[in-house]
Amino acid sequence: MHDDKVLHAPPADLDLFDTELPRLEDALTRRIDADPENVERGLAQLVLTVVELLRQLMERQALRRIDGGTLTDEEVERLGAAFLALDRRMTELREQFGLEAEDLNLDLGPLGRLL
Amino acid sequence: MSADLATRDVALVDLLDRLLGGGVVIAGEITLAVADVDLVHVSLRALVASVASAAPQDVEGTAREPEP
Amino acid sequence: MIELYAITDHPGPPLPPVADTTLATAGAGSLAAVWAPVADAPAAVTIDGLRRHEAIVEALMADRNLLPVRYGTRVPDDGAAARLLIERRDELARALERVRGTVEVAVRVAAAPDASADPARALAAVHHPLAERARAATCRVRAGGDLLRGAYLVERGDVEAFAAGVAELQDDLADLRLLCTGPWPPYSFTD
Repeated sequence: MHDDKVLHAPPADLDLFDTELPRLEDALTRRIDADPENVERGLAQLVLTVVELLRQLMERQALRRIDGGTLTDEEVERLGAAFLALDRRMTELREQFGLEAEDLNLDLGPLGRLL
Repeated sequence: MSADLATRDVALVDLLDRLLGGGVVIAGEITLAVADVDLVHVSLRALVASVASAAPQDVEGTAREPEP
Repeated sequence: MIELYAITDHPGPPLPPVADTTLATAGAGSLAAVWAPVADAPAAVTIDGLRRHEAIVEALMADRNLLPVRYGTRVPDDGAAARLLIERRDELARALERVRGTVEVAVRVAAAPDASADPARALAAVHHPLAERARAATCRVRAGGDLLRGAYLVERGDVEAFAAGVAELQDDLADLRLLCTGPWPPYSFTD
């Protein structure tokens, strides 16, 4: 019923594409961790979630500008470097708190697509 | 994931991207519940307005590192 | 409480019948919002719920131009919906006109096995060529996994030709794999 939406797919390599499904199921069943020992981690989780949300918003804005052709090549390059750096920093911060990308709610499943 | 399952669900990502990340944002408030436990209530007007004013300067300058 | 599905022209063709849902329109001027009543609780995010919602929007799209509304958009009643239509009349009318006669096609790009490709490569090799053949185009890039997720506004009659174009592109690209789905309502082109 749903593969009638596929217009073109590479025959053998479908697993190269994100499926997100396992992570979505995680999001649907995850509960907020209220254990006091994990409160700090929980706070970090919330903060990094918001940061990730903002990063995605900025990325979207940047892409609009790129699409709009209003940026010079140099500016596009600087943008790319900026987002790479931000991405790297996010990974560092997550590792610091023992968080996976999946732990930042807004990055995955329904919550990750809010904005 | 078997090739069959992958084909069946391969459009799901595109569906999620669109329903949850696209479409007209006509009301300032969207309230979603996940698994009856987590409740996410985002006041979009406030958040989008604050990011929209910050973003152009952000992307034109050097990378800003988020406060840990 | 009512849930909004789409913004359409007003007046328009009769609403399609939908099982377990009573669709209605709230009209204001040349715009209408298609809605259905819901229980007073947040929109549950389940795959089934999302699919059901999407099926309704696509049924509407079959015989009319529309702007899909973001999932979970709820307002107190049809009066509130009409007021929003009046408040945002100009931008909604503009957006509705922009997508008239089109549907959205999605293309996702991943690196082929044993290939090292990056978003810039996906942008140049896939997004820009496809954008040339579309009324409008937008995309998101990422390092790893889906290098690029593109959305293209394609004339309703041209979807097959566009898909054939994607298949042709794929034939020439050894380092990338393309996945194309659609047609979708124009979720990525509402603002």
